[in-house]
Amino acid sequence: MSTVVPQGRRPRRITAGRIGVYAFLITAALFFLLPLWIMLVTSLKPMEEIRLGNILAWPASLTVDAWTKAWSSACTGLECNGISVGFWNSVRILIPSVILSIAAGAVNGYALSFWRVKGANVLFGILLLGAFIPYQVFLYPLVRIFSMTGIYNSLPCIVIVHVIFGLPTMTLLFRNYYAGLPLELFKAARIDGGGFWTIFLRVMLPMSIPMLVVATILQTTGIWNDFIFGLTFAGRANLPMTVQLNNIVHSTQGERAYNVDMAATMLAALVPLVVYFVSGRWFVRGIAAGAVKG
Amino acid sequence: MRLKTRVSAYTLAVALVWNSGALAQQMKAEVLHWWTSAGESAAVKVFADQFTKAGGTWVDNAIAGGANARTAGINRMVGGNPPTMMQFNTGKQFDELVSNDLLRDVESQAKAGKWREIMPKPIVDATVRNGKFYAVPVNIHGQNWLFYNTKVFADAGVEPPKTFPELIEAGEKLKAKGVIPLALGGQPTWEHNLFRAVLVGHGGADLFRKVYGARDQAAAKSPKMKETIELFGKMRGLVDPGSPGRNWNDATALVITNKAAMHFNGDWAKGEFIAAGQTAGKEYGCTLVGEGGGKLVIGGDVFVFPATKDKAMLATQDKLTEVLLDPTTQIEFNKKKGSIPARMDVDVSSMDICAQKSHAVLSDPANQVEAMELLSTPNFSGAMQDAVTQYWNNPNMSTDAFIEKITAAMRDAS
Amino acid sequence: MDTVSIQIPSARAASTQGRRLLRTRLPVALALLPTALVVLVVYIGCMVWTVRLSFTSSTLLPKLDWVGLTQYSRLFMNDRFVTSAENIVIFGVLFIAGCLILGFLLAVFIDQNVRAEGAFRTVFLYPYAMSFVVTGVAWQWFLNPGLGLQKVVRDLGFPNFTFDWIVSQDMAIYTIVIAGLWHGSGLTMAILLAGLRGVDEDLWKAAKVDGVPTWRVYTSIVLPLLRPMIVTATVLLATSVVKLYDLVVAMTMGGPGIATEVPAKFVMDHLFERNNIALGTAAATIMLICVVSILAPWVYARYVRPQGRHA
Repeated sequence: MSTVVPQGRRPRRITAGRIGVYAFLITAALFFLLPLWIMLVTSLKPMEEIRLGNILAWPASLTVDAWTKAWSSACTGLECNGISVGFWNSVRILIPSVILSIAAGAVNGYALSFWRVKGANVLFGILLLGAFIPYQVFLYPLVRIFSMTGIYNSLPCIVIVHVIFGLPTMTLLFRNYYAGLPLELFKAARIDGGGFWTIFLRVMLPMSIPMLVVATILQTTGIWNDFIFGLTFAGRANLPMTVQLNNIVHSTQGERAYNVDMAATMLAALVPLVVYFVSGRWFVRGIAAGAVKG
Repeated sequence: MRLKTRVSAYTLAVALVWNSGALAQQMKAEVLHWWTSAGESAAVKVFADQFTKAGGTWVDNAIAGGANARTAGINRMVGGNPPTMMQFNTGKQFDELVSNDLLRDVESQAKAGKWREIMPKPIVDATVRNGKFYAVPVNIHGQNWLFYNTKVFADAGVEPPKTFPELIEAGEKLKAKGVIPLALGGQPTWEHNLFRAVLVGHGGADLFRKVYGARDQAAAKSPKMKETIELFGKMRGLVDPGSPGRNWNDATALVITNKAAMHFNGDWAKGEFIAAGQTAGKEYGCTLVGEGGGKLVIGGDVFVFPATKDKAMLATQDKLTEVLLDPTTQIEFNKKKGSIPARMDVDVSSMDICAQKSHAVLSDPANQVEAMELLSTPNFSGAMQDAVTQYWNNPNMSTDAFIEKITAAMRDAS
Repeated sequence: MDTVSIQIPSARAASTQGRRLLRTRLPVALALLPTALVVLVVYIGCMVWTVRLSFTSSTLLPKLDWVGLTQYSRLFMNDRFVTSAENIVIFGVLFIAGCLILGFLLAVFIDQNVRAEGAFRTVFLYPYAMSFVVTGVAWQWFLNPGLGLQKVVRDLGFPNFTFDWIVSQDMAIYTIVIAGLWHGSGLTMAILLAGLRGVDEDLWKAAKVDGVPTWRVYTSIVLPLLRPMIVTATVLLATSVVKLYDLVVAMTMGGPGIATEVPAKFVMDHLFERNNIALGTAAATIMLICVVSILAPWVYARYVRPQGRHA
């Protein structure tokens, strides 16, 4: 992500102010990196060394065992395949869920911003309130609803659940984004005889690319890290990686291998990190292009 | 009840669908449990291997965290797609599943296997509902063991304590030597576990049962209770300031690394010692503290079988029952799990010294004390935990204020 | 422009207008139908279900009896719930304000055309991608007086240095805030940075010409322009305040004592650990009422009342 976009004020020479800027940023970076440092050195130590409790010290006997174990050989019940087991399941859940939830949010945002539908704003108001309810409250009734429809414990089930719970944020994002687009654009498209879908697909969608990237980042993080929905709705065959991660790091009565826990957590975070890294520049430009004007 | 009829109709529908493919996949058992740590995984493998040997296919469904696993399993039962077999803790966790006809009884197997004779009475009582066994107990965990570092005690020239007043005295001596007398995982669960160890050890089994089982408010206000609470309060002085929030594993590590002398925990803590390469009776010892040699608070794990009309699934469940309680399987499983066999009629001489001690203590029924999970609802246990953690963390709270919280919990918690 | 009612040329006949309305409105209605269904069935349905259960005596499985306000009186007698409510206010105010301030500062400093901007941005954003179950352990260790900062500074030769907030009943909640800031301010930074990047270059040039100091431009001109971004960030932060759970479980388990208990944990414990669905849903209902009463006026004023076009 080394694409430094030449923006902001023009570059300056080294001044006291410049030093101050870097001093602040580096101090802040140290604060942010501190837990990562603890996790990294812990993941490279054998358990005997971890028990001694020098949490900040560099490993005396460095080992990457914990990393290979976390990825491919840690036992959680009968399975001894680390967190790699659920990786492809997570991907299978992630891709359709991200695409569909963004599509739903984009269509909603578009309909709410440009079209007048009675009650649509009440709808949106309730949706927004829904974003504040702890997910766990929904679990039981949703299980009942899904088991009545017969798709409970399947890939479509978990995807639908992610779409449902992505609706509030996604709708909010796109609604604000489209609200920032010039209305004249929409009017011109209407006069040209464009219908609801034509305008959306031909005019709005191509203009939404920056926002689509933002939404992808938000949804990827949320869905990739989801544990409770995957566990409840995905079914045994589709359990996401976070279930394995939880099996490794969360234990009530079992002994704990902190080095493996830490390595597993860092490994599990790689996918969203890569998404941040790759799309970082669009992420920032994305919001700037739209919602700011709103 | 509406819920019931809908569920059973659904189960039936699922069963019909299943039946068509049942012949092809006979004795395929999906087992839901929360044994996910390395030691626990090794233990569950014993069951799986034995089941495979008996001709079955074990489909393992491990979900860490008891609450997570139970919720997932219950949701699936209600959703009409239950696993073949599912873990619970011995006790009242599955009461409502029985009263809603979601579980199958295993009374005929229990009669044939004479479970009532070979298992300790508290365990039998905790699995029998309306005169029928609704679960298969697979192990017994002792919850109130004192683990101690033999080297630290020897270096300080102190004997491992036999009673709680002795323990506090020994603790002060150890403290003077610069070690942490008592390592405690400062989370509500473990503070509560410590409280129960003191209550059963100093207050006695009767008081323990009256508080957690009968919710006897008079007992909660008795002089013996007050004395016990004061003793418990004094133990704050034996714990290091870093205790709050600490995971129990970190507390055990303090004993393993000679930084702390004593640690109360269930026998599952042996897993940490074993992982660190230590042997019971050598680097660390285990003992029961309390008047009259100490009582053992016992709980454990059971497996339940979701109700089904599918013949193949019923046969699979029968086979599983047989495998779980096979004497050799019981010994091998419990060696790995850190517990002792649920059946008392097996030879435990190949187990570690702490397990042998457990077995010996339990052979006298007078030493068997039902764990909190067996005596009280999860809700009341939780309310007690809230009270205990507040008292433990507020040195200024008076004994009476604590008792007031306990009696309030007794009144309110359903 | 406030509304976007599409004006049909008046020359058209009324019947054509009607047909045309149908042709244009139908797809809109169809497009919103799935969302409407979800809102009705899932969001409203589950809210009603939750409220209904809070008037029952449900324990492990929901049942539909009626016990009136029993659960609510239990709830308000429960000192843990009361503490939870106080904690969430402390946490909410400090966390949202802290994230906005820190996020804004980070965004402004990153916006100074610094080297390795991408690296800084990723460093500030990475906590957002990490599961709290384990990062909480790292924080717990670092804050533990026997393991972390206090020990390190004392070992460096300051034997009187004390930093034991996490084990103190009065201060532990602030350690949750610290870890929360670590987790949440990166996202705030990203959103606000995006806002900053959208500020017109001409505005900066004009300010420069007028000799306005940079900090004044930020506080007096840029900050008001960022309002929509700040609103978006605040909404996102507020939802995570209400749902605060993982962080507390990983760091303190609600302790010392009940000093860091929060409402979502109360709900979770009662729903899933303690087989007390009724009390858990009563707590969830109270949370819902609080959120609605704080948010409803804002949502109404901003999104419901003005039909059609607005930010």
